[in-house]
Amino acid sequence: MSTAAHVEDPRAAFREITEAVCVAHERPQPPKAWYVAMVISLGMLGVLGVSLIYLFITGVGIWGNNNVTAWGWPIVNFVFWIGIGHAGTLISAILYLMRQQWRTSINRAAEAMTIFAVLCAGLFPIIHTGRPWLAYFMLPLPNDMDMWPQFRSPLMWDVFAVSTYGTTSVLFWYMGMVPDLATFRDRAKNKIAQLAYGILALGWRGSARQWHRYERAYLILAALATPLVLSVHSVVSFDFAVSQVPGWHTTIFPPYFVAGAIFSGFAMVLTLMIPARYLFGLEKVIKKSHIEAMCKITLATGTMVGFAYGIELFIAWYSGSMYEQFAFLNRGLGPYWWAYFLMVTCNVVLPQLFWFKTCRTNPWIIMVLAILVNVGMWFERFVIIVTSLARTMLPAAWSYFSPTLWDAATLIGSFGLFFTLFLLFCRYLPIVAISEVKNTLPEAHAGKH
Amino acid sequence: MSAKHGQGVHPDEKITAKNLGGSIFKAALPAGVVFLVIALIIGAASGDHLSRFFHSYLVALAYFLSVALGALFFVVLQPLVKAHWSVTVRRLAEILTSTFPLLGVLALGILIPMLLGSSGPYHHWVHPAPDDHVLHGKAAWLNVPFFAIRVAVYFAIWIFIARWFFNKSVEQDDTGDAEISDRLRAASGPSIIVFALTIAFAAFDLLMSLNPHWFSTIFGVYYFAGAAIAIFASLSLVGMFLQKKGKLTRSISVEHYHDLGKLLFAFVFFWSYIAFSQFMLIWYANLPEETVWYQPRLFTNWSGVSILLLVAHTIIPFVFLLSRWTKRVLSRLAFFSIWMMVMHYVDIYWIVMPEYIAPNQTQTVFSYAVGDLAMDLFAFIGVGCLFVAFAARTAAKVNLIPIKDPMLGDSLKFENY
Amino acid sequence: MSPDDKDIEKNAEESEAKAATDDSSVTDDSSPEAKEAAAGDETAEKDETAEKSSARGEESAAGEGEKSAEDSPDGVEEEEEEEEEETAGADDPPATGPAHEGEELYGLLAEFKSPGDLVSAAEKVRDAGFTRWDCFSPFPVHGIDPAMGIKMTILPWIVFAIGLGGLGGGLLLQWWTNDYNWPWIVSGKPFFSIPANIPITFETTVLASVLATFFGMWALNKLPQVWHPFFKKDRFLRVTDDSFFIGIEAADQRFRRGETEELLNNAGAEAVERVYIDPDPAAKKMPKPVLAFIMVTSVLALVPFALVAKARADRSPDPHVHIIPDMDFQPKAKSQTANDLFYDSRASRSDVTGTVARGELKADDHFYRGIKSGQWAAEFPAQFDVSQSTVERGRNRFNIYCRPCHGADGKGGGMIHRRAMKVPQQGWVQPSNLHQANIVRQPHGQIFNSISNGIRTMPGYATQIPESDRWAVVLYLRALQRSQNAPVDDVPQQNRKDIR
Repeated sequence: MSTAAHVEDPRAAFREITEAVCVAHERPQPPKAWYVAMVISLGMLGVLGVSLIYLFITGVGIWGNNNVTAWGWPIVNFVFWIGIGHAGTLISAILYLMRQQWRTSINRAAEAMTIFAVLCAGLFPIIHTGRPWLAYFMLPLPNDMDMWPQFRSPLMWDVFAVSTYGTTSVLFWYMGMVPDLATFRDRAKNKIAQLAYGILALGWRGSARQWHRYERAYLILAALATPLVLSVHSVVSFDFAVSQVPGWHTTIFPPYFVAGAIFSGFAMVLTLMIPARYLFGLEKVIKKSHIEAMCKITLATGTMVGFAYGIELFIAWYSGSMYEQFAFLNRGLGPYWWAYFLMVTCNVVLPQLFWFKTCRTNPWIIMVLAILVNVGMWFERFVIIVTSLARTMLPAAWSYFSPTLWDAATLIGSFGLFFTLFLLFCRYLPIVAISEVKNTLPEAHAGKH
Repeated sequence: MSAKHGQGVHPDEKITAKNLGGSIFKAALPAGVVFLVIALIIGAASGDHLSRFFHSYLVALAYFLSVALGALFFVVLQPLVKAHWSVTVRRLAEILTSTFPLLGVLALGILIPMLLGSSGPYHHWVHPAPDDHVLHGKAAWLNVPFFAIRVAVYFAIWIFIARWFFNKSVEQDDTGDAEISDRLRAASGPSIIVFALTIAFAAFDLLMSLNPHWFSTIFGVYYFAGAAIAIFASLSLVGMFLQKKGKLTRSISVEHYHDLGKLLFAFVFFWSYIAFSQFMLIWYANLPEETVWYQPRLFTNWSGVSILLLVAHTIIPFVFLLSRWTKRVLSRLAFFSIWMMVMHYVDIYWIVMPEYIAPNQTQTVFSYAVGDLAMDLFAFIGVGCLFVAFAARTAAKVNLIPIKDPMLGDSLKFENY
Repeated sequence: MSPDDKDIEKNAEESEAKAATDDSSVTDDSSPEAKEAAAGDETAEKDETAEKSSARGEESAAGEGEKSAEDSPDGVEEEEEEEEEETAGADDPPATGPAHEGEELYGLLAEFKSPGDLVSAAEKVRDAGFTRWDCFSPFPVHGIDPAMGIKMTILPWIVFAIGLGGLGGGLLLQWWTNDYNWPWIVSGKPFFSIPANIPITFETTVLASVLATFFGMWALNKLPQVWHPFFKKDRFLRVTDDSFFIGIEAADQRFRRGETEELLNNAGAEAVERVYIDPDPAAKKMPKPVLAFIMVTSVLALVPFALVAKARADRSPDPHVHIIPDMDFQPKAKSQTANDLFYDSRASRSDVTGTVARGELKADDHFYRGIKSGQWAAEFPAQFDVSQSTVERGRNRFNIYCRPCHGADGKGGGMIHRRAMKVPQQGWVQPSNLHQANIVRQPHGQIFNSISNGIRTMPGYATQIPESDRWAVVLYLRALQRSQNAPVDDVPQQNRKDIR
């Protein structure tokens, strides 16, 4: 569009957004890199399939979990993935309430990422039970045995928190997508696409009366999702913190886990969106300033996490409890010192580079840092779970936890599931919230108001 | 007037409070001194080496310190997040941060007696029992000289940050230099980190160490949440007070109050979340070294105050502030701002007072002598008058609104949607 | 040219022209832009547009392209007429066009250039007093609500009410399951312990509110509604892209064909179109693939039920399928089996010589064996509380363990005895009548012993009934015996008149 067209027709600016998002999507063939990524992801998904089948046939003994470190990698992975799944709702809901308009370019993809991450997260506790086909026991279903879930258990809270969060994320995501699906419907060239998008768009026609209720509903969902997102990782932190295990039982856990979750979630959004931005030519929509803003949030939350590490260490000493003191000494100087070192370096030290504008604008540096943050956050969960469990109150039970190949295969496989879903999303659904981006253009507010 | 955005403060707007500030200062300063002296006399008469008085005084000090800390948080946060809407009320918060020197002097009221041999309100750790090995283990941290140094350092840091932001902001009133905004922004990141560390450790030192056996990693966040409630309620009230006196009537609109109300609501929720997290984790794990703090608060007459906090600090404001109905009608917002200021006082009182071991061991708020309650009240009014006096003195010297802030135009025409 | 082709071509040209010239509603076949734009890949474009227009209203209109043109010649006419209207629409109010036989006017659709135009036009329409009208835009236009006079939706109240329901429901669920229906102590927490119940209560509140918001919003918006008359207009495709519309329904009381068109034109509309309700019922039918999909899915959905039904009806001599063999056949030592791990090859291990396990030192002869100083104890042991509640406990245990043989009244006529009498069987001895004198005379301890170790054909119940419960049964039996041999003094004075 030329500048002249802008002046003559205010609609050009809106059309430009539609085109920018849809053209990449409507190409008959996705870019080659997409195929490459898809093949790799499907391969990893296959690894997940194989390890799950082997797991179901053989049992949880294939993992490195043992009597003391009963939680092992599956729960590390669970907490890791559920943490990743926090950025989407944060971007969609909290930044919406805070009127941060830059969120519109990335919120859709981040929400999708949230849903896929929650899916991966939900997988782990279920397979960790050893009998996943009895997972429905966790729901309050009337049954012959007249038995009910134990609602005072933090693990039950997890079931409710994660399933509520998953449901809310899906509904929020889908609701936000309906107007854009209508755009896809109206642009669709072949019958199957028309039909599929037509059904998914529910007959959306952009009516002002419907927009009114839609916007109100969006606001309410945002307002509900905000405390919900706080609650989910708080509940996950309760799994640890209501116990008496030294190193787990500390009152700062809920906000500290939430900050960590947002931290890792933003790192994952950066990891995914920087390549997606180039692959699908979305530079016009996802601007550099948006990437920079995400870097700043990563920095802020990383620093909060560092603050919590520090306070934990101080209070462990200040508590005067030898068990607490030992737990934290053991983290830093015990057999898992390397994990602790990795965690502090990746989560607290390296993100400090984002103070510098050069680091916030260079996509390569951002990519590397974001991936390292993900590594660091995985190790944070590893450190919390393994160091405390492998050195419990009973020294006779102390042992060194070593994962097996199947642990690694399951983790890699979960990434396969995540990436496969994300790549499918990029190809078939509106990756950017088209109508929301239009709403932030100056042209949308030109004229009367 | 900010030329860049073509919109500045209305020419007829009253943006200074020279006379108003001066007269408040003249009235409040002597009143504050008198009330503090009366409180001190009552305390001295009760014959417990001023221990009860120090608790009253600490409640008042921690309360107004939380307002000032909240203000500092607000002032540092606005440039950090590039907030546009808040410019019209930012100066009011800046004025409140100018009370740190006063609060530092008032803190000396506890530190100096302690250095002279009194135990202040901290008798548990100043004179620990000989067989209390836990406290002897903490002596490296909890000893009077180091305590005094730490508190002095906190105040020095707060005074420095507050003055720096205040001076830069006032400087912009004269020069209109847009670069000052950038410098504030650059400084805000490190400042907020220092702020977070100092407020956490100040909360540990001033309030948590009242019961030196007890520890809670979240306690600093808890005190911060209270401070945030205090500042958002105070800002609404200060704004309304000034508008009633004919100042800033065109600059602060219902939209700004609406946002302050939303933030107040958000932090009421945040406070509840933090308070619940702390309580829940300690309740569930049921470790004696931690439940010791909740024991008097839940299983003596103090439980009434705990329930009051649950109902009136959490549920009632949550339900009412949820609605636009409350946030956009000034009289209602004023009511709930005052409500939250009162509840914040109850919260601080509930943190401090159960740690006061009276001679007869069973004293709670319901059985305090009238004299003791009067002392609490006078100490509160005394510190409060001084706080208001010094804030008013600053307000008399500067504009009540950053008239040349480049984002002022946006803030003036700001609208919620 | 067949009507089919003609139709397609017109559509193609129309939309091409529109894409090229945004501000003009005039459709001119010779328009240079149109030609230029269409020149590139004319045939392909035509096919696409035809397809697009045909499947416009999603399911509703799939295959309409061929159908409407073939089945009803009106379809062709309609297109032509509309074009005329469009041409006229921009400048002067169109004269009432030729009647559309069998077609009902649904309303008018006016296109606007910018959100600002839309808002000012909406104000005019609002002021004219219309009620059945709406604005359409690709995004929520700021300021359209007051301009249209839209009142605040009741959605927040619905959400609030249902959210409260979620809150109450969550609490109720936890109270009923964990405190009332199946109380069960865990980690020393009360059955109904509010702090531990808060997380789930919170989640159910949020879940209920979220579901209420989501479904409430669609219900209030009357969506999904995949069919709408406006969808027939190609122009309306752009409502999800870049253009702005006002639609006024003909059903509005203030609707006057010419006047209203004029109103819209004066309000700054770029173009005003008439929209007719398609009389062709086929257009409203569900497209075949969707229908097929739904039918196949419904049939497939029955398969699991069919399999379950079959499994319930069938009998099979085969054993279970062992899905997890190492859970079904665990390599563990079971009692009463051989095990090579131990020198005596017995899996069941006895206590180490000279030791007593915790809680198994049963030294108190009176309580554990009913013997006191070498005699059957005549009184209840000290640690057993003789009270109404233990009598009730005894009744409860008696009815479970003793009643099947001895009968509820203890006379030996229990269900098992009655059944045994029906079966021709040798050697069945009737259970004792517990009211016979020699049993009534027995000391408590002896009866306790009989329960513990059995007597004659009666087996011992020591493994099933704990000691305190055995004493409770003895106590209840005493009450039962007393009831059958009660002297008149046992009956309170005021009730004696009732016994005759």
